[in-house]
Parts: sequence; C-alpha cells; structure tokens
Amino acid sequence: MSTKKMPMSDNELKNGTSRNMLERCASVNEYFDISFKVMLLGDSAVGKTCVLVRFKDGAFLGGNFIATVGIDFRNKVVSVDNMKVKLQIWDTAGQERFRSVTHAYYRDAQALLLLYDITRKSSFDNIRAWLTEIHEYAQKDVVIMLLGNKSDMAAERVIKPEDGQKLAKEYGVPFMETSAKNGVNVELAFLAIARQLKHRAGQQPHEPKFQIHDYIESQKKKSSCCGALV
Amino acid sequence: MASDVHSKGVTWDTSNGNLTPVEHLPNSRSESPTPGLVEGTEPGAGQERAMFVHTQSFEDLTADVELTGSRLSEIEEVEEEKEEEQQQGGGGGTGETGGGAEGVEEPKQEVHAVVREKEEDHVFVLSEAGKPIYTRYGSEEALSTTMGVMMALVSFVEANKNVILSIHADGLRVVFLRKSPLVLVCVSRTGQSDSELWRELHYVYYQILSLLTLPQLQRVFQQRQSYDLRRLLSGSERVTAGLLRLLETDAGLMLNATMSLPLCGTTRNIVCTSLQAASSKNLVFSILLAGDRLVALIRKKEQHLHHTDLHLLSNLAASSSSFRQGEGWTPVCLPKFNASGFFHAHISYFEPASDLCLILVSTDREDFFNLSDCKQRFLERLKKRNAYQTLKEALHSPTYPVSQVGIPELWHFIYKSKSSGLYTSPELPVPYHTEEEQERLMDLYQYLHSRLHHLTRPLRSIYRCTNTENLLAWSTSGFELYLCFSPLATKALAMSAVTKLLKWIRKEEDRLFILNSLTY
Repeated sequence: MSTKKMPMSDNELKNGTSRNMLERCASVNEYFDISFKVMLLGDSAVGKTCVLVRFKDGAFLGGNFIATVGIDFRNKVVSVDNMKVKLQIWDTAGQERFRSVTHAYYRDAQALLLLYDITRKSSFDNIRAWLTEIHEYAQKDVVIMLLGNKSDMAAERVIKPEDGQKLAKEYGVPFMETSAKNGVNVELAFLAIARQLKHRAGQQPHEPKFQIHDYIESQKKKSSCCGALV
Repeated sequence: MASDVHSKGVTWDTSNGNLTPVEHLPNSRSESPTPGLVEGTEPGAGQERAMFVHTQSFEDLTADVELTGSRLSEIEEVEEEKEEEQQQGGGGGTGETGGGAEGVEEPKQEVHAVVREKEEDHVFVLSEAGKPIYTRYGSEEALSTTMGVMMALVSFVEANKNVILSIHADGLRVVFLRKSPLVLVCVSRTGQSDSELWRELHYVYYQILSLLTLPQLQRVFQQRQSYDLRRLLSGSERVTAGLLRLLETDAGLMLNATMSLPLCGTTRNIVCTSLQAASSKNLVFSILLAGDRLVALIRKKEQHLHHTDLHLLSNLAASSSSFRQGEGWTPVCLPKFNASGFFHAHISYFEPASDLCLILVSTDREDFFNLSDCKQRFLERLKKRNAYQTLKEALHSPTYPVSQVGIPELWHFIYKSKSSGLYTSPELPVPYHTEEEQERLMDLYQYLHSRLHHLTRPLRSIYRCTNTENLLAWSTSGFELYLCFSPLATKALAMSAVTKLLKWIRKEEDRLFILNSLTY
C-alpha cells in the first residue's frame, strides 16, 4: 500500500512545475490538482478519435473517416469529488505501421481505454492481441477498460454485449458499450477512470478499495434513467 | 499604372540604375558585375548559406537518365531490332520513345477504362508481383487486372534488357516509373510532358517512403513477394490524395521551391530568432508554416532540408484535422534527407482555426514532451515580443496584388530565386478566379517549365502567345521567372517588364523572402 502513495508525490512535484507553465499559456488556463495519462487503443477505425472528441468537445465527428497520424495528445480537466483531475489523453493511430511509436508511450500511461467496433468482428477478435501487447509494454498496475463502440448502430451489430462482457470478465477488466455518436457512456468511461486513478493515488491504508465495477454499474443505471429523458 | 503604388511615393528607378540591393542590405551583395543574373546575387538570394538543399528541377529524372544512359548503347540495339520486327509484322503502333528508351502500344480499351471523364491524372502503384497498392480513383480490387496488364508491359520490355518509360497513344500518355520493389504508373491526357508526370510519380514514391522508409519497404517484399502493402499504408489515402492535388495546383512542387509568407523584416526577424531560441538537444528542423507558406525555418548546423521533404511534411500537416485540436507526434521519414530512417515530428497548430502550424523534427522517439515544451517557449517569446499578433495579422493578407509591381499589362508572375530555393508569386487576378482557369494557368506554367528544363533540349527563354494571354519564361543561373501578360502585351513590353519586375522584387526582397538562414 505504501508504494501506491509514491505516484501521488511524484504527481505533486510534476504539478508544481507544470503549473508555472500553464500560467503562461493562455490556451490552457485551467488549474488542476492531479494529473494522469490515459491512452486510447484499438484497431483502426473503431472510433478512438470520435470517442475522445465526444468527451473533450461534446461533438461528433461525422462524415469521412480521417485516420489519426501517429499519436495525438490532448488535455481535459474534470472534477472528481471537488478535486481537479487533469487527464492527459493520448489518442493513438490504429494502423500497424505506428505500433512501435505507441509502444514507446505505453509505459507512461496509467490507464488504457481499449476499444473495439461492435459492427466489425475483426476488431473484437484483435482485442486479445491488444491485451497481450498491453501486458508486455504497459505498467503492471495500469487501469484497463474495455469499450465496445458504435452501440448506436444496432442494425449492423455483430458483437453482442454479452460477448464483450464475457471477454472483459476473463481478463478482469471493466466493460461497457459506448456511442461516440450519441454520447452514451463516453463521459462515464473517462470519469470512472479518473475516479479510480484519483482514488488509487490518494488511498489511505485503512480506506476500502475503490470498486470501479460497482461504480460503473451504479452510474450506468443512473444515466440510463436520465438517458430516457434526453 | 496602379494608383496604390503612386500613393506611396515609390519610384521604380533606383539611383544607380541597376538591381543592386537597397542601402539597408550589406554592400557586399552589390559587387557582382551582372547583378541579379548570377546565382547568389539575384533578388531574394539568401545572405548566408542557403537553408535548402540545392536542387534542380527534375533532378530525380536527370539522375535516372544518367543511370540508363550507361546502358543506352545496349538499349538502342534492342530498339532497332524491335522496329524491324514491328515493320515486318505490320504493327501500326506509333509508340514514341521517351528519353531514349522504349515505346510499346498499349491496349486502348484498358486505358480508356481507367481514365476518368475529369481531366486529372490517374495514378497507380503496384508491386513487382503485379499486386495493386494504390489507385487514385476507383478501388484497387476492381483494377487488379489493369494493373496486371501494366506489370506485364513492364516485364515484357525488361525481358529484352530494356526499360519502358512511356507510351503515347490516342492523346494519352502512360508514364512508368520503376522504383524496385514498386512500379508506379501515371495515365494522363492533360498534355503534360513526360517529365512532369515522372515528377508526380516520384512524389508519390517519396510519399510512400516517408511512411515506411526504404529498408522497411524492401524488407517486406524480400520476405514475401506477394505482400499486400496496403496493410502498411492504410490510413494514408488522404495524405496521398492531398499530395496529388497539390501537384496540380501548387507551383512550389513544380519549381522545387517554397513560397514564403510575405512578412515585414522586423517581425520575421523576431519570429526566426524566437524559434531559434526554442531549441532542444535532438531537434534537427523547426519549421513554421502558414498554410503552404513558409514563415521560418531553423535547422541544425550543416543540415539542409530538401524541398521535397518540406512539401511532404506540409502536406502531412494539412491532411489531418486532429493536429488542429491537439498535438500530433508521428514518425516520419524524410526520403531526400535520408531514406533509411525515421525522424519524429511534433506537429501542432497554434489555434484550431488558425493556419499557423509548427513542425518540430527530432531524432529522438521519446522527445514529445521536450518538443511540446519548445513550442510553449516559442509561443511565449513571440507574445512577449508582441510578434504573435503581427504574425496573425500577416496571415490575413498571405499574398499581394500584382498591381503593386506597377506594370498594368502584367497579370501574374512566378519568380524563383535559385540560391535560396524560395519563390514569390502574387495572388491570382480576375481572369483566374475560377478553379478551372487557375488550373489552366498552372498548366501553361508547367508547359513553360518543361520547355526550360527539357531533359535533352533545355531553353533559356521562351515567349508564347495564346488567344487569352502572352507568356514569357526566362531562366538564368540565378533565377527562374515566369510571366503572364494580357494578350495585348507585346514582346518588347514583356522584356522591359522583366527589368522593372526584378527591381521591384529586389526592393521588396526583405518582405517577400527569408534572407537569413538560421541554425540552432
């Protein structure tokens, strides 16, 4: 448990220096208390950039598919229990030729959002390969979340939610289906990650462990009843 | 005479009557006996060393010709045999020879099937096994038989120890470029010369190298000849499409030169020195672009950037909108600099809606945060010295009207300073306000360019009259100049306009060109 406190002090140090930098930078004028690196992974065209844009700007990138080149880096500050948590989000290119670049940045990431496309079986089948890669390159205690994206495309669905759930259970990672198009569960996915990381960083020895699975389930129920109104 | 010129009280005759630089520039530049005509003294020439690799137009092509030249005697022999065969067999093919090599008649319906109604060049890339890799239009699968035919033609000629360069038939040109392990083919009916089409194919080839590097490309095909390269190139279609579009519209790719953003000397100075100060250990090039125009370029000592590489980088930066939102980080090979390795480029726009884009090229794959910090330092310095606002305002007028020169019959021009590798050109005036007209003018310039740089019979100058405009092109060791006049202009007027224009460019060179090439 004591080792888990280390990242906190690290982050505080980093925060101190980056705060100076931020004060001088007009475009990012939000302060934060703690920051984490999150990475989006998955096959090409599963909607990683769209999920990120939905979370960051609340918009949907319709129209033509534009492949991400290399890695794309963006920040977003969210509030978790009155604490400002800055998520530094790496959006990666799904193409094979960029694998070596993304590998180099795996180990910096504290959380990974692994996406597949519910309308494309190959992207789901590749999840196991992605997880093998993650175990090879990422930190041991990295937080992983599995997301089945494009849940709005019910007519073209080929992967059932149960399949995703089953795979997630096998690897012991939380799972949910998202839609970048109508925003379902996108914010929840990032917030759950932020909450888990924040909790872990500031955890006291006697505190109970944060249960990300339970949190997601409780929030899903909440959002689904709100969702009916929207 | 344009009124805005007179209102500023500008006279066009300099006191000493020649093209020597105005007084605020170093005197050493005026000592050349024939100012402006010798490389290094022309208007717009860099004051110190050039920032770009020195290039010639069609340098790739001339290099190729030298290569094939050594085999020429062998080729000629084969060709004679071939002609005899054709005559005997009554084969009525009017195959033209390109650059001293081979012409074969293409099955016509195949070509018609692949050339679209729109008069744009069609480009194909295939592997030596005849597998489709890229097609500009249509899907690779649907065109796999066509590509098979193309490969058959290439290998048929090669079997006779010869090289197929181009086929001219029925108003169509089919141009082949062999870059093992790839074969690139361009089908065109725009009337462009073979050299122009080869240049396009070279660019597509370099585009592929910039994604993969040459060793990786060779390795995948050594391991498996039938490898489907599309797997490794997926997602790059937009980048290639953008590049082909640029080749048709941007004079810089034709001239092997870059246009700089017109900017007042003091602002340019602040921008350049600020960018120079924001350095990092592994940085090789810092490039500030405003759209496709160069604002500043800082390089490592002794390292020079090649135009082709710069055009590839700027096209890459323009092709993905995500650079506008966040910071991009990608491996990129600069094939003219070194085709066998990757650099790592940090690409970001200053504001989502702005055209100002900073590209930082590093040798270290884990340099992202260092470079991100460099960008912040550069921005802060710009703001502290009040140059950021000036720079943004300069973006509102990224070009200038041709009337500033004060020659009423002059409609448009392109001036390239050979030693600096930069060119300048005013905005396109009224007759060229539609896209078709702009492309037509570009085609005319391309025609003049290909005449000046003909592989075997280059011209020093050319004057051409058409129904719609009169054109003059002139190449010296110092500069290349392309002028477009109204159809009422005369040859004498055109000649006098050249002198006047050169004087004007000399006077404005501070604003139009980047005269200092800074290193870290």
